[in-house]
Amino acid sequence: MKRKYELMYVVSPDATDAQITDLHAQVEAIAQRLGGVIEKTDNWGRRRLAYEIGPHKEGTYVLELIEGGGELMKEIDRRFKVTDLIIRHLVVRVDEEQTVIDRTRTKRSETSRRRRIARGLPPDRAPGEGQREIDDDRDDRFDMTEVER
Amino acid sequence: MNGGKRSFGSGGGGGRGKPAQGAAGAQGKDGQRRPMFRRRKVCKFCAEKIDDINYKDTKLLMPFVPERAKILPRRISGTCAMHQRKLRTAIMRARQLALIPYTAE
Repeated sequence: MKRKYELMYVVSPDATDAQITDLHAQVEAIAQRLGGVIEKTDNWGRRRLAYEIGPHKEGTYVLELIEGGGELMKEIDRRFKVTDLIIRHLVVRVDEEQTVIDRTRTKRSETSRRRRIARGLPPDRAPGEGQREIDDDRDDRFDMTEVER
Repeated sequence: MNGGKRSFGSGGGGGRGKPAQGAAGAQGKDGQRRPMFRRRKVCKFCAEKIDDINYKDTKLLMPFVPERAKILPRRISGTCAMHQRKLRTAIMRARQLALIPYTAE
């Protein structure tokens, strides 16, 4: 089963860099054992937590993009639950959402091309074309400038 | 009733309200009220063609969780139903990872 998952975990701020790489190695080992591949690893570095988790106010965020089956993610999830160093983790399946996003994008560009051709315009928008002026344009969408309470 | 310059009235109902037609609705001459301006609300994600509402994108999500850190209702933000649903899941995921607070004291 080829599926794509996103694994994000928050490591305790007390952890050393060696421990963080060790965690990554653990994930890699599990992935290899169960026939998965790590496509991308992204270390966000230390960030403030939005709320305190136990004694911690900060944490190191690591994001991994993994291709593999559900069993693999289950195993990683189980491991992370028992690892004290990890204060939070989240596994999200991303491939389905990504296809939906791609589909809406292509659909939108196709309809715009079709309509433009029907109107006798070149299919692609020239840079800067059709941009409304900013002054009244921005007024109709929500941008947090005013909130009615 | 409302003295506010701009008010999110009940007229629109859902997110996709009709464009406010003529600032003053049916207001007679009698009252000294200012003409009510109802701002046309448009879903931010539809207007800006944001397809991907991702939990990692705190910058995008933060405006939808004002001070108290509650999710801003659709009736105020004007987000359409589909995008509000996606927004909600994104916010809930971000909360799990302590990217966004659950609550603020």
